[in-house]
Amino acid sequence: MKLSLPIVVLLISGWIIAVAHATETTYQLDDPAKQKIFLELKHELRCPMCQNQTIGDSNAMIALDLKRKTFELVESGKSKQEVIDYMKARYGEFVHYKPPVTPITIWLWLLPAGFIVVAFLVMFFARRNAKSDLNEAGESPLKSEDASPQDLEEADKLLDKYK
Amino acid sequence: MKKILLFLIPLGAFIAVTGFLLKGLYSEPRYEVSVSVSKPIPDFELPDVMDPKKLYTKETFLGQKTLLNVWGVWCVTCAVELPYLTELRKQGVRIVGLYYQLNNDPDFDQKPLPQLQWEIRQMLGKHGNPYQFNMFDKDRSYGMDLGVTGAPETFLIDELGVVKVHHVGDLNTRVWKEKFSMYFGES
Amino acid sequence: MIAELGHFSLVLALLVSMLMSIYPLWGAHTGNQMYMAMARPLSVGLFLFTAIAFACLTYSFVTDDFTLSYVAHNSNSLLPIQYKYTAVWGGHEGSFLLWVLMFSGWTFAVSLFSKAIPQEMVARVLGILGVVAVGFYLFIIIASNPFESLLPFYPVDGRDLNPLLQDIGMIIHPPMLYMGYVGFSVAFAFALAALLSGQLDSVWARWARPWTQAAWAFLSIGIALGSWWAYYELGWGGWWFWDPVENASFMPWLIGTALLHSLAVTEKRKLFKSWTILLAIAAFSLSLLGTFLVRSGILISVHSFASDPERGLFILALLVTVIGGSLLLYGLRASQLKSVGRYGLVSREVMLFGNNVLLSAATLVVLLGTLLPLVHKELGMGSISIGEPFFNQMFTVLIVPFAFLMGVGPLSRWKKQNLVDLRNQLVMAFIIAILGALAINYSYDSLATITLLGSFLSIWIAVSTIFEILQRTGNQFSLSSLGKLSRSHWGMVLGHLGFAISIMGIAVTSHFTTEMEVRMSEGETVALSGYNFTFKGIVSIEGQNYSGHAGIVDIHKDGDFVSSLRAEKRFYSVQRSTMTEAGIDSNLSRDLFVALGEQLKDGSWALRLYVKPLVTWIWIGAFIMAFGAFLSMADKRYRLSKFATRKKAVLDNNAVPQGVPQQ
Repeated sequence: MKLSLPIVVLLISGWIIAVAHATETTYQLDDPAKQKIFLELKHELRCPMCQNQTIGDSNAMIALDLKRKTFELVESGKSKQEVIDYMKARYGEFVHYKPPVTPITIWLWLLPAGFIVVAFLVMFFARRNAKSDLNEAGESPLKSEDASPQDLEEADKLLDKYK
Repeated sequence: MKKILLFLIPLGAFIAVTGFLLKGLYSEPRYEVSVSVSKPIPDFELPDVMDPKKLYTKETFLGQKTLLNVWGVWCVTCAVELPYLTELRKQGVRIVGLYYQLNNDPDFDQKPLPQLQWEIRQMLGKHGNPYQFNMFDKDRSYGMDLGVTGAPETFLIDELGVVKVHHVGDLNTRVWKEKFSMYFGES
Repeated sequence: MIAELGHFSLVLALLVSMLMSIYPLWGAHTGNQMYMAMARPLSVGLFLFTAIAFACLTYSFVTDDFTLSYVAHNSNSLLPIQYKYTAVWGGHEGSFLLWVLMFSGWTFAVSLFSKAIPQEMVARVLGILGVVAVGFYLFIIIASNPFESLLPFYPVDGRDLNPLLQDIGMIIHPPMLYMGYVGFSVAFAFALAALLSGQLDSVWARWARPWTQAAWAFLSIGIALGSWWAYYELGWGGWWFWDPVENASFMPWLIGTALLHSLAVTEKRKLFKSWTILLAIAAFSLSLLGTFLVRSGILISVHSFASDPERGLFILALLVTVIGGSLLLYGLRASQLKSVGRYGLVSREVMLFGNNVLLSAATLVVLLGTLLPLVHKELGMGSISIGEPFFNQMFTVLIVPFAFLMGVGPLSRWKKQNLVDLRNQLVMAFIIAILGALAINYSYDSLATITLLGSFLSIWIAVSTIFEILQRTGNQFSLSSLGKLSRSHWGMVLGHLGFAISIMGIAVTSHFTTEMEVRMSEGETVALSGYNFTFKGIVSIEGQNYSGHAGIVDIHKDGDFVSSLRAEKRFYSVQRSTMTEAGIDSNLSRDLFVALGEQLKDGSWALRLYVKPLVTWIWIGAFIMAFGAFLSMADKRYRLSKFATRKKAVLDNNAVPQGVPQQ
């Protein structure tokens, strides 16, 4: 390969462009609001071809590309949701670590909430049923009927002491 | 009896979970691409890697079925794939290459074009040339629009410019039969 | 030769486990004393043979015996000696051998420390452990054998241990974690023994408690170490990622915490019996599920072992047998366990119930978040990702009532608590917490809602805990009155304080961490959060099995020298992989964190700089919690042997003792 003039020019100009680019892209934005969005996106967008890593954490080519693209989009003024939509349009729901709300994913929220509600309902009803088994003094029928108020107080004191 | 049913709920839930775990054991855990499928390919204007003055647009995909193959000289699997693709070309399949430039830091790693062209010629000469032409996706931005994550990947684009298939990984006889052949009548 | 010995020993252990799974349980069922008595010596045998096998494998590693496939895949002659020891559990087969070693160890411990427990119960517990053991030993010998030989062809040298694992964290983290996972099998065995015998009383809960506390403590330490290790090893300053493997360890921990509290209620008030049994089954089941998730390749994770559907199938079969079997037994027998007792709507019972419900809900969140992507894909609905945004959202919601209960619960009485009586303390705690939270936020020049919330909850818990101590000592803060409080009480105090400390660390570091990704050339200085980072240059480094570069960064604050950090980039020649070792300056108030990136064509280097306030509090809190659990154990066992020996004397001699305390 002979080093002809056009090729030399090409090489040098390429190098100059590269260096000029360098001082710009340090992945720091001057605007703190934009920087915040960028940081959040870095940790919320998923690298599509990695073993479970964000685009911020991975050194894979596609991750770096997506990180750079995210940076450019945020710099140009796009909102966080716009960037997420942009990425989803190309890589699907998979690329965002927050799941979409669909008839299937809704259970992510419904099941735990439902569990808490059901658990407390069960407890209320269990207590109500237990109440109907008890005598007027509010004691379990298994306990001796001879328990005097003093005994009950003693028992309470002991319960406190050995909590 | 009713009480026992209540206490058997945990077992029931466990069995349901086991069903999915069993199914999951035999399926591919990796992410399955499907976004670009059934959508028209995004607009573009890309130069020919061998002749940068020549430009291609979406027009080039209208009127006939085309395989768009994403590859690069750096990609080892692509070298393995080239002979098979060349066979397909001989059987009349139209294949266009999307040259996917690799460099981890695009600000510093630009390979001079003449060297790249030389390397492409070497590789295609050695393993076979299936491509009508190769479009140069220098900063991988068109790849991003398509949802490409690496190479090799192959898209099937129909006569109307709509993406029918997006396959990640190398194209071989099995993949062709499973994913592509139905669009080509026989073969 | 040694390897063959180890293999043989392992097979012997399998045979012992088979005997252990049959005779003691049969003996308990038929009342055969001799069969029941076999349980203890069989446990000794199980442990002995497993230990020999483990020792043989270790020997093979240390002597570079590359005729063993496992050694060849995970070691190298150049590997530093300490890592040859830890490489024993660096891969799938060896780590499973560590698992069964722990299992046999716990079984052995149960046989040793159960003198006060009636023989029938001991026989049942050890018998159940034997049944589970059969499954494990079958798996390791058939599908996951570390003694598999490569003969007649074997490599000259090995493939080296994954550089990520060549680290002190790797030495301690898996053993601690496995001690926890496997330790829950004891509570599991106690639970099934109770179901089999049809008896569950407060004494049962007292026996089960220390074993659960021990397992929980080890698991806490294991998880904390894993988090800390990821933090300094992976170079991104992150300490938790909600990765499936991390979640797999977190779920048993959450249920284990619920179990600890539920056992307290069962012991003290004879309530929540069937729920406690279910939790004990669930804790170990989640440990097993975790094993499956990590080793089957079913989920994508940076942590997972190399996957193999065959192995996955075997483990799944194990899961179905153990978990399915125990849940079936639970379904059929649990209704026989009657909990009789009354408690008011506002009482310690209800608070602890709330604690359990919230912890179980949290476990459900993690379980769903980890498995739903798989389910979603299997249903043909495509791939989704569930990660940090989701988990953080859910946990932030759940932690509010949880922390509130944590403050009020210990202050409440059993059976009935009048909230009005607690009004003064609660209001004071509330005010102190708000003021403290605001103060902390202002000291970082920032006001983030989440951090306000987190620091408020942390202080709320801490202050309430201190108020509770005051309540117990009758408002005296003297050394003598503090000394009168039991170890188990101090255990609770430390457990809750440790939790509060961790929450404070998490709240502050999550939102007040500052980071900067820069390219620096020699001599350049960059300012971050009041610290000046000066890049002093690069030196070449050389280790036993790696080479690379270290970036030196000097840090100054207000002109004063703070620290000089080395951020390394190592290239491990055998596996041809690159690793970063971050440079960290740590103190109680903040971590300064520097990671080295790539060198750029113009000679400058890419660096990541972080200032992370209070991040060490996260792990310190966890260690305090674990210490609290160990402290509680010390109390229980003391009382256990004294009280239970007397009870045993009663049972054995039918004599009526005098003055048995009303516990």
